[in-house]
Amino acid sequence: MGEEHGQVMVEAIEIQKYFKDLHVLRGISTKVMRGQVVAIIGPSGSGKSTFLRCLNRLEEPTSGEVFIDGMEVTHPRVDLNKVRAEIGMVFQSFNLFPHLTAIENIKLAPMHVRGLNDKEAMERGMGLLKKVGLVDKAHTFPDQLSGGQQQRVAIARALAMQPKVMFFDEPTSALDPEMIGEVLDVMKSMARDGMTMMVVSHEMGFIREVADHILIMDGGIIIEEGTPAQVFEHPTQQRTQNFLSKIL
Amino acid sequence: MTPSDPRHETRARRQLGHEHYMHQPLFRRYEFLGAMLVVLVLYAVFLLPNTQRPSTGQWAVIIMFFLLVMAWVGTLTTDDKKPTWMGALAAVVLLFVFGWLFYRYSGAQWKKLVFVFLNQGVMEGEWGPLSEGLLVTLEIAILSAILGVLTGLILAVLRSLNNWMLNLVIIAYVDVVRATPLIVLLVVVYYALPYMGILMSAVMSGILALTLNCSAYTSEIFRAGIESIHAGQVEAARSLGLTSMKTMRLVILPQAFRVVVPPLTSTLVGLLKDTAVCSVASIVELLRAALQIQAWKANPTPLIAATIIYLLILIPLTRLSNRLEVRMKTRFGVRR
Repeated sequence: MGEEHGQVMVEAIEIQKYFKDLHVLRGISTKVMRGQVVAIIGPSGSGKSTFLRCLNRLEEPTSGEVFIDGMEVTHPRVDLNKVRAEIGMVFQSFNLFPHLTAIENIKLAPMHVRGLNDKEAMERGMGLLKKVGLVDKAHTFPDQLSGGQQQRVAIARALAMQPKVMFFDEPTSALDPEMIGEVLDVMKSMARDGMTMMVVSHEMGFIREVADHILIMDGGIIIEEGTPAQVFEHPTQQRTQNFLSKIL
Repeated sequence: MTPSDPRHETRARRQLGHEHYMHQPLFRRYEFLGAMLVVLVLYAVFLLPNTQRPSTGQWAVIIMFFLLVMAWVGTLTTDDKKPTWMGALAAVVLLFVFGWLFYRYSGAQWKKLVFVFLNQGVMEGEWGPLSEGLLVTLEIAILSAILGVLTGLILAVLRSLNNWMLNLVIIAYVDVVRATPLIVLLVVVYYALPYMGILMSAVMSGILALTLNCSAYTSEIFRAGIESIHAGQVEAARSLGLTSMKTMRLVILPQAFRVVVPPLTSTLVGLLKDTAVCSVASIVELLRAALQIQAWKANPTPLIAATIIYLLILIPLTRLSNRLEVRMKTRFGVRR
């Protein structure tokens, strides 16, 4: 699970974010290596989702810099669409396009951003549906799928762009318990395949098993970080201990 | 007999029905309703005045009768324990009684009514000019609709770019056009523009005025439709690397279309009716054609003919747009 720590895939430098007067992010800096799985955990309101969304500028950082595989995302004249094509994002509320079938959802971006023709996009799409175990649902609409199935299609849709890094913003928080497992399984196999992943989640079992590095955020700063063993067994900060005692 | 046996069920249901029946208030029981029906018939036969022009006192008697009939029909239609056909029949009876009373006491001279308003002789040979007028109406309506909707769509998409200068211009345009009565807009376009050197035919000025009007309303409709699409859709599309325009074209607009159909179709139906305003700019559409025949033949029948033609077109149009609305709803994404 992410043994090669060659290149720096994601680098965030002193990310600050204000929502009007609310200081949500107070200087977040971190590095994610290629193939690493980084989990971001913390109490609600700590700024985890905001931080993740700042990395692909779904939220505009008030200051700070973000680099994805060397490309400066926060540069004023960057081609943001090009950068975003290298970042796959999976949302808590899936955000599938309801007017398109599953396979059409997956084919859309490769065809209109990467320029694939219909046949190539179809092949790639069906391959990904097979990977997430939903080949038989290719021609169904999202409202005919369960939450877990929708999220798996959303993951396939993000993977169809063959991104360099995948961001997950609480991917299982909106799912009924019996469907969480199927989505986590897909994420585990992605990690095994060497995908660089940043995951905001509350699924501690999954994180302990899969994450290489954990960032614990509270009040807009990273209060602790380390490997799962370090953070869960030997937390150094009091706040970390408080938070962990509530959720473990 | 097992509990699920149909015979057992019907008997049980009849028993239950009977119990319910015994709990019904007096005025809902069949005996009372039957008695009241007899009373109403006797009232009609013996008490209703026989003259064409009733005095005030006699009017009171007539109205009292009608109110009693309404009450009787009301108890029948509002009773969900009575079979549905009874309520429907009662409603029809009410309409008949109303029609009968109207015929009896309105003093209307039916023959004269037909001579004035439904005079076939007057219309002889005039169907040609009337149809030409109709063609002009349709021509103006269709062209204005197409241009107006396209312009409105463009304006809405431009607004979604959130450029504050562009927004200011568009909002000013929409506010001014929506605040101006259509007839005033038409008069300004038709009479005032020539002074600025802009010359166009009457029909073109009609189309221009209607297009401007339509575009202002449809731009708001499209804007509301676009904004009704969840921000998450835009986030997902942009996260995949789709540009703003591609997101709009492939993700937002197809979804907004479904939301937009009801207000859009009602605006277009309104547009067809608004073509009548063009008669003021000496455009010979349906209304003006009818008015011309009316002036020439000194009989208002052509106006009634024009009204009926409007109805014949607009009623199917509204039914069609309702069906379209329903079809859109059952297609996707409404159930959750």
